[in-house]
Amino acid sequence: MDKQMTEEKLHQEGGALHATNHYLYYPDEKDVPPYLAYGFRPVFLLLAPYLIISMLLWGMVWSGLISVPFMGDMLTWHVYEMLFGILTAGVMAFLTTGLPELFPGVVPFIGKRLKYVMMLWVAGRISFWTIDITGVYLTAVLNLAMLAWLIWFAKDVVLDRLQRHASLGYALVVIFMLEAWFFASQAGLALTPAMDILKIALGAHVVLILLAMRRVNMEAINELMEDKEIDDIYVARPPLTNLAVFSVIVFTVVEFFYPENSALGWLGLAAAAAILAITSDYNLKDKFLWDQPYVLYLATIFVLMSVGYGLMGWDLLNDDIYGINHFRHFITSGGYGLAYLMIMIVIGWIHTGRHLTSNIYTHLMVLLMIIATVMRGVIPFFEEYTSELYLYSSIVWTIPFMLYIKVFFPFLVAPRADGVQG
Amino acid sequence: MNSLLKILKDFPAYLWSGWGAIASILLFIAFWDAGNQIYGDLVLPSPLETFKTLMSMLQDESVITEIKVTLYRASMGFGISLLFGSALGLIAGFFATASMMSRPIVTILVGMPPIAWIVLAMIWFGMGDETVIFTVVVASFPIIFVGALQGTRTLDGDLKEMADSFGLPWHMKFFDVYFPHIFSYVFPAWVSGLGMAWKIVIMAELLATSDGMGASLAVARSQLDTPTALALVVIMIGSLMFIEYIILEPIKREVELWRS
Repeated sequence: MDKQMTEEKLHQEGGALHATNHYLYYPDEKDVPPYLAYGFRPVFLLLAPYLIISMLLWGMVWSGLISVPFMGDMLTWHVYEMLFGILTAGVMAFLTTGLPELFPGVVPFIGKRLKYVMMLWVAGRISFWTIDITGVYLTAVLNLAMLAWLIWFAKDVVLDRLQRHASLGYALVVIFMLEAWFFASQAGLALTPAMDILKIALGAHVVLILLAMRRVNMEAINELMEDKEIDDIYVARPPLTNLAVFSVIVFTVVEFFYPENSALGWLGLAAAAAILAITSDYNLKDKFLWDQPYVLYLATIFVLMSVGYGLMGWDLLNDDIYGINHFRHFITSGGYGLAYLMIMIVIGWIHTGRHLTSNIYTHLMVLLMIIATVMRGVIPFFEEYTSELYLYSSIVWTIPFMLYIKVFFPFLVAPRADGVQG
Repeated sequence: MNSLLKILKDFPAYLWSGWGAIASILLFIAFWDAGNQIYGDLVLPSPLETFKTLMSMLQDESVITEIKVTLYRASMGFGISLLFGSALGLIAGFFATASMMSRPIVTILVGMPPIAWIVLAMIWFGMGDETVIFTVVVASFPIIFVGALQGTRTLDGDLKEMADSFGLPWHMKFFDVYFPHIFSYVFPAWVSGLGMAWKIVIMAELLATSDGMGASLAVARSQLDTPTALALVVIMIGSLMFIEYIILEPIKREVELWRS
């Protein structure tokens, strides 16, 4: 009875998002090294270097220094890896860190079992780069298994009676089906062009990011305000996120069936406006938040995505410019990349027992990400510099992750600064 | 003065919150574009073509002249309704007998279809400015009158008593007790009156005059010039939305703030 009472109480407080309220139970596994003490730690320790290395590898592949034919379809597989390969890591960090907080009954996922799941992810990456030798089926099985495990881990979210965060689970299931469809297409079992499936997948990823960012925003901004003793509450209103999600879904579906249609142009502009509308939540009634670096960082994610959809829409309505896939990089390299970086930074501070801090490194990381995105996205306007922009934008894009290694790796391999387990 | 400053201070945030509205308008335009692809250019021109027509129209001197004519008629009609509707409504609100008497008359005014008023006005005043202005007055006057009447009818007697017992000077009584209450009723009535005036003026012009935007619409109809007709509609809706959401709504929010 008593235990149930405290559990109920903690359950209620779970919504209040206090930095110390990360979980109700911590597993009593012995000799857990710090880098396996919480879900996000190994993910970030692997993801940051992987993003740098894979960018270098892609640079070498594109310039012909090394020969990986990728079943004769490099571009498609490049897009696949940048979407799905990274997604599984990001979702892994987000779920294993967020779920015990959102649902205090969930026991943190740590130690040996965490290590095995991470090894599955690494195996998925290796099988991707060796796909011409090991075959598409092995890559498919390993990568689908990773995503399936994540959905299994998140099943409580979908089955939750109140359905508070169920949308995340549904989005993941959709992404799983899209990934399976993609592999079926690449293995010759489905007729839809793989690239078309990836475009739908991008839409689904954007939806997932919008849903996840609503939670990250709530946690980060309220944590920040508590820290700075700003007496107000920030609420990321669901209707705004839902409008953006709806617009993105309509855009994605119409793009699949009618890729050149002029109505799609208007839908792109609509998605741009709807995503930008999310930032109006930062306008609190009494307090001014826009001078807080983290508000600017997080808002930039929405701005970049909005610019991407806006330019794509403008491109479709304008006969003089053909750059839709370049403009799409405002969504991928920009919005998607920055969302990952912000999740890595926010969790890297808060969940290692530190205050959400901004300094010259975090400024630089965000700024370089924006610069890299703009360099990549404006190629249609500066066609004479195309190859330089390709090369330098991908180099600049990796620097934030190098800075991340420098600033955050010491935190990730050490126990929490406030002495709490995890 | 303070509230004016507050309106200006909140204005950027208010403006920024409009992105959601813009998104739904753009979704609607996409829907319109789909309609164009199904029914063809003659029935429903594409949004892009309409906006291009609109742009070229706005650079045309004669179109600007037509817009000015319409603006003159609408603002005259609305101005008269505003002045007399507010004044008479406020006075009527102070007297129970007057408000009882005026109610059925207002019902008659509101209940009579504007199109019937136009026919009568055409007989009385002929084809010209007066007909249009009269119709606008007849349509928007009752709305403003009722709003003003409600404003004074619903004044809180207890507050008045309190103000009296504290011996407030008349200007404080007026600006701090009566004015916020009355204004919060009168102002929304002005907003709806304006919307009504803007719609009626086009209709009256279409039937009763040879100039103004309504008349241009009639010409576009007879020439089957759908892009011009739609561009005119866009001008009408656009200007109404601008006045309502950019100018009036922020004031309305500030005025109605005390209610919640």
